[in-house]
Amino acid sequence: MEKTVVKIENLVKRYGELLALDHFNLEIKEGEIFGLLGPNGSGKTTTINCLLSLLTFDKGNIEIFGKKMTPVSYDIKKEIGIIMQDVAVFEELTVLENIDYFCGLYIRDKALRKQYIEEAVKFVGLEDFLKFYPKKLSGGLLRRLNIACGIAHKPKLIILDEPTVAVDPQSRNKILEGIEELNRNGATVIYTSHYMEEVEQLCTRIAIMDKGKKIAEGTKDELKRMIKNTETVSIDILNLPDEVKSEISALPHIYDTIYNGEKLTVYCSGGKHNLIRILDVLQKKDLSFGRVYTELPTLNDVFLEITGKALRDKEE
Amino acid sequence: MFLHYLKYEILSSLRVKDLIFWLILFPIILGTLFKIAFGHLYEKFETFSAIPVAVVDEAPELDSEFVLKMEIFPTRDIIDSVSEGDQPFLKVTYTDRKQADELLKKGKVTGIISMEGKLSLTVHDSGIEETLLQNFVDRFNSSITVVTEAITSNPNAEAEIIQAISTEIKAVTDIPLTKGNTDYYTEYFYNLIAMVAMYGSLTGLNITIRNQGNLSKLGARKCCSPAPKSISLLASLIGSFIVQSICMLICVSFLRFVLRIDFGSRLPAVYLAAVCGGILGVSFGFCIGSIGALKTEIKTSICFAVSMFFCFCSGLMIGNMKIIIEEKAPWFNKINPAAVVTDSLYYLNVDKDYSRFQTKMITIAVLSAAMILLGFGLTRRKKYASL
Ligand SMILES: Nc1ncnc2c1ncn2[C@@H]1O[C@H](COP(=O)(O)OP(=O)(O)OP(=O)(O)O)[C@@H](O)[C@H]1O
Ligand SMILES: [Mg+2]
Repeated sequence: MEKTVVKIENLVKRYGELLALDHFNLEIKEGEIFGLLGPNGSGKTTTINCLLSLLTFDKGNIEIFGKKMTPVSYDIKKEIGIIMQDVAVFEELTVLENIDYFCGLYIRDKALRKQYIEEAVKFVGLEDFLKFYPKKLSGGLLRRLNIACGIAHKPKLIILDEPTVAVDPQSRNKILEGIEELNRNGATVIYTSHYMEEVEQLCTRIAIMDKGKKIAEGTKDELKRMIKNTETVSIDILNLPDEVKSEISALPHIYDTIYNGEKLTVYCSGGKHNLIRILDVLQKKDLSFGRVYTELPTLNDVFLEITGKALRDKEE
Repeated sequence: MFLHYLKYEILSSLRVKDLIFWLILFPIILGTLFKIAFGHLYEKFETFSAIPVAVVDEAPELDSEFVLKMEIFPTRDIIDSVSEGDQPFLKVTYTDRKQADELLKKGKVTGIISMEGKLSLTVHDSGIEETLLQNFVDRFNSSITVVTEAITSNPNAEAEIIQAISTEIKAVTDIPLTKGNTDYYTEYFYNLIAMVAMYGSLTGLNITIRNQGNLSKLGARKCCSPAPKSISLLASLIGSFIVQSICMLICVSFLRFVLRIDFGSRLPAVYLAAVCGGILGVSFGFCIGSIGALKTEIKTSICFAVSMFFCFCSGLMIGNMKIIIEEKAPWFNKINPAAVVTDSLYYLNVDKDYSRFQTKMITIAVLSAAMILLGFGLTRRKKYASL
């Protein structure tokens, strides 16, 4: 059985009146890319900061690498790479100096450090900006510097708190690939985000958080199996008679049908060939229709079904 | 690890433009302004030349007993003695009344001293030289009374009394020349140095901000690293001391060698006092930064305001502020960091020995140590309730 890298038990954290974490539990195994997914304010960053022993908490227990985590657990901290949500670099130091500074806090050997820094620079693609000051970097480049500062020392546990905010899709993919590579090289990864696509693409296991509570946990397939929706069929169609809609609703495995005058949306739960059966009905009635598409459930559907609200606004 | 920290601490401090402005440029500008404002005054004392006077020896029209006593009083000897030596006080022309008036009118002499038993002074204008002459004459006259009384009551000790009194008068004319008056002006520059030292509090404040997880993102990030916080703090402190000391050395050197301000003959000790003052300033800021959970901006404002208050009380804006406080609350002058620094510089210039200077240096050391310890104690707390 794999080793447990991070174990959080019954964590309770209050900010005054506000209950930020409510008996939160988490167990992360070695070699996982663990996704912590939740909307803004759900407590992801708070969890990370408690994990790092930056924050006091009211109740609970935190272990990393099987040992209790305290502010003076330097042997544990040595193995952690942290990329914070807010970029934390020296304004007065150049890109290269910043990476050297942070790497130097972990790696004393100068030759090794030099090699690690070079690798980190290549990893985030900042080769052309080594002499730049952070102020001169664009938001995305700054994020990449933040990442380089966190992973240069080749930690065993990498914690990334929304590292891809403000990064363009191209560099985002590069970063995600990089994280996968770090993982292949043996690092356990904790990744928080409110971008479910990212989490779906990257993470081997996912916990969904809301209001300081863990509302679901598992691999993405396990999560999707938790909900009844298995497939959503959408058909662009004008003038759909009510009796046809009722006929479709009566088909097996269909639990909801919505028609808005232009588009018919059919929610299916299990079963096979749902699409064919629906189209069959339309064909028999000689109704013409436009675009047809089916969607498999997303983590958003999971979140929606459990909490009754969307994970994040559509336009985000 | 420590050296790694130190290297980047110094590097990043030296690149903070605000800091460089307040610690190097601002004092240079202010110093130059002081020099322009008070410079002419200073020049006069720098190149002090003896005050020209006409001395008229007129027969006293006083009662015979007094005249008798005056005859034994060596008026002329004393006047001669202050007109000789490396730094003569008076440039004397012995003449008669008519010619003396003529000289005064033409401005050849500043005043006329007439020896009619007691001395009396005639001047045309009012100014520093005139004031000094008046001081001399007053001093002289008051001595006559003392001497005559002493001789009357103890005729045997006559010779010693005369000896003593003439030394005293000479001493009196000496002090305003070389020290007293120029000090008033130099005091502003001492205050300027103290101000730069107090600005060190901003550097010191930066230490806490950058190391405390709840004050900055950088602080939080540092707290996650495997380097013990005490090492990081110590490196920051020493780095700041070094940067601050560099600023102090630049400031003193600029004042001394570019503006040619006279800090007396013990320049190395002046540098030492300035550097120690800077360390005190940094420690002060470090201490302020570590108290309470206030926001960074508020702490910066507090630091700035308190520093300026200290400087104000030690006389940066109003010259005799320190004297006023000395009367009302002398204890405050003893612990006001800015006043301690100005005092130490002042004593260096004025005192023959180092005893008062040493006291001030010990005060600086004790204050710094106390603040650093307090700062360390408060900053070392490891977890925060809120970031
Ligand atoms: N320092 C603080 N003081 C008071 N409340 C706080 C503080 N930090 C966070 N909170 C509150 O705690 C809750 C959890 O915040 P947290 O930053 O952990 O959320 P998050 O999941 O990281 O959100 P985001 O996606 O926006 O980063 C929020 O309601 C937030 O308002
Ligand atoms: Mg967050």
